[in-house]
Amino acid sequence: MELAEILSYAFSAIKLRKLRAGLTILGIAIGITALVGLLAMTQGFQASVQVQLQRGFATDAVVVTTQNLGFGYQVKDFQMQINDTATINSLDNIKQSVAIIQKGCYAKSGNLTESVNVVGVDFSSYASIYPNSFVAKGGSIPNGPQYADAIIGVRVNDPWKNGTLFTGIDQEFDILYTTRIGFQFINQTLTAKTVALLGEIGGSTLGGPSDYSVYIPLSTAEDFFATNQTSTIIVQLQKSDQNSIEQTSKAIETAFNNEVLVVSSASIFNTIDSVMVRVQMLMTGVIAISLLVAGVGIMNIMIISLMERTKEIGIMKAIGMKDGTVLSVFLSESIIMGLIGTLSGIGFGYLLAFGINQLDLLGGMINSATEGTIMGGIPLYPILTPTNLLSALGFGLAVSIFFGIYPAWRASRLQPVDALRYE
Amino acid sequence: METLAAVIETLNLKKTYMLDSLPIHALRGIDLKVEKGDLISILGPSGCGKSTLLNMLGALDKPTEGRVIIEGTDISSFNSGQLSELRRKIGFVFQFFNLIPRYTAKKNVEMPLIIAGMKKKQRSEKSENLLVSVGLKDRINHKATALSGGERQRVAIARALANNPSYLLMDEPTGNTDSKTSQEIVDLIKTLNREDEVTTIIVTHDRQVAKQTKRILKMLDGQIVES
Repeated sequence: MELAEILSYAFSAIKLRKLRAGLTILGIAIGITALVGLLAMTQGFQASVQVQLQRGFATDAVVVTTQNLGFGYQVKDFQMQINDTATINSLDNIKQSVAIIQKGCYAKSGNLTESVNVVGVDFSSYASIYPNSFVAKGGSIPNGPQYADAIIGVRVNDPWKNGTLFTGIDQEFDILYTTRIGFQFINQTLTAKTVALLGEIGGSTLGGPSDYSVYIPLSTAEDFFATNQTSTIIVQLQKSDQNSIEQTSKAIETAFNNEVLVVSSASIFNTIDSVMVRVQMLMTGVIAISLLVAGVGIMNIMIISLMERTKEIGIMKAIGMKDGTVLSVFLSESIIMGLIGTLSGIGFGYLLAFGINQLDLLGGMINSATEGTIMGGIPLYPILTPTNLLSALGFGLAVSIFFGIYPAWRASRLQPVDALRYE
Repeated sequence: METLAAVIETLNLKKTYMLDSLPIHALRGIDLKVEKGDLISILGPSGCGKSTLLNMLGALDKPTEGRVIIEGTDISSFNSGQLSELRRKIGFVFQFFNLIPRYTAKKNVEMPLIIAGMKKKQRSEKSENLLVSVGLKDRINHKATALSGGERQRVAIARALANNPSYLLMDEPTGNTDSKTSQEIVDLIKTLNREDEVTTIIVTHDRQVAKQTKRILKMLDGQIVES
């Protein structure tokens, strides 16, 4: 019997049980949808993190921070001072170190008010560490800045991405900062002047430049925020091979009695990656169980089909159908159902991943969870590679074959005379 | 119609079933010889072993003891694949038609040809010709469920003839039809036997049908008591 005929026969048998077959297919489709969606999301997240780290973080720099490297905050007693850069500079393999003061403020220009991250930093040193991202698109970054000079990130200036601009070169705007002393709130205002507009960076990490920040001179920040404490010092190294990074990181941690965390792009990527791998493993386990259930569904429908069609199998055998052909027919039925389920699952998974992205649900969540921390805002774009799609297809087919083989084998072993007698 | 030398022989054929661990002797030593071009009826009451014997001859069931020799070959030692091949040379007609209900008359007749691997155009032509020859020219594309009992049995006969079988085995072919239709089916069988020399064995309990065959074998309690 030709393959086309086997498939046509199998298909006609599936059509007899549309509802049951449809539900079985749905079971497979749900499992594969989840699988494809998960793969797209995790791969997209990993790629996104990698891109951000490459773009926003200099590979020859490490970041010394008192923050914990996770989502959210952890209160610590220890605080670094701005002049702690001297301690760092006295160590080996240090090119330069730059302290930054970061505060959440409001920026007000005319009727527009928005929440911004204000960063006090030495402009020229910062630009020399981040020559690719701390770059002026409009105006210029001054070498010897005035007290009120400000550099604006692209999303601060164009927050809605629609051309409604917050400010322009040489225009003034107010930075509003609220502190609390006891039960009293004190509002302070700094009237800043825009001297440079940054180009689009696309999120940032680890103290590197960000689209959502306003940069003011470090001395201005010390004065305005009335502090000489810093949560982040960026350290540029002379040698940046893996060994040197590790040694210098250790030396810095020792110098601060292990009260600080020294992170490099590789270490943060590894941390995120290992978390993602665990999340992925957990999710894969859940998906595997759902596919297992779908597989049992296939076996169930095929065994019911076998019982309902026992007489038909007897007729087919009586007119010369071989055991192997009966096996192929039944296996084809489960493979056809598996294939339809898998292909629709891939389609739905694709829509799910890109739909979530379009609605900015997960990306927005991760972005806002990481925004304002030293990880910066990490945007998320789902990625579907041909390998992902092929592995989803392979997995779906493997499930349908694995769970279809037993009913098919049972069908092929039926004796014609017994099958014909079956009522 | 091309036919192969159809000689069927059984030697001391026995079949025992176990029913609730009690042995039921369905066949108790059948010796039978069928020559080419024979038209034989096997007559007997229900439960005498007629259908069991027919199943043995049609390679649908295996004997407990004894031998079935078809065209000079003992089929007792055949494996499943060889038995399937052999069944393609045998036309089997069942009492309850055993058509595939979701298929049309034509597709039902085509099935043995599809299984045998015949090309689409050839098998389409052949199945139509067969249906015309059994008088179903106007029912070719009707679903099996839309046909009357007599028409279904004709489709079953056409299907049995599809692979130019060496012989035709019929289990109560008129068991579910009225007397007029029964006679039409018997006439058709007689014509096939006379014109195409199709060796035919009919199992029946209808004496009117049996009378019209060349030879009558009477069975009782698993044995041939008169031939």
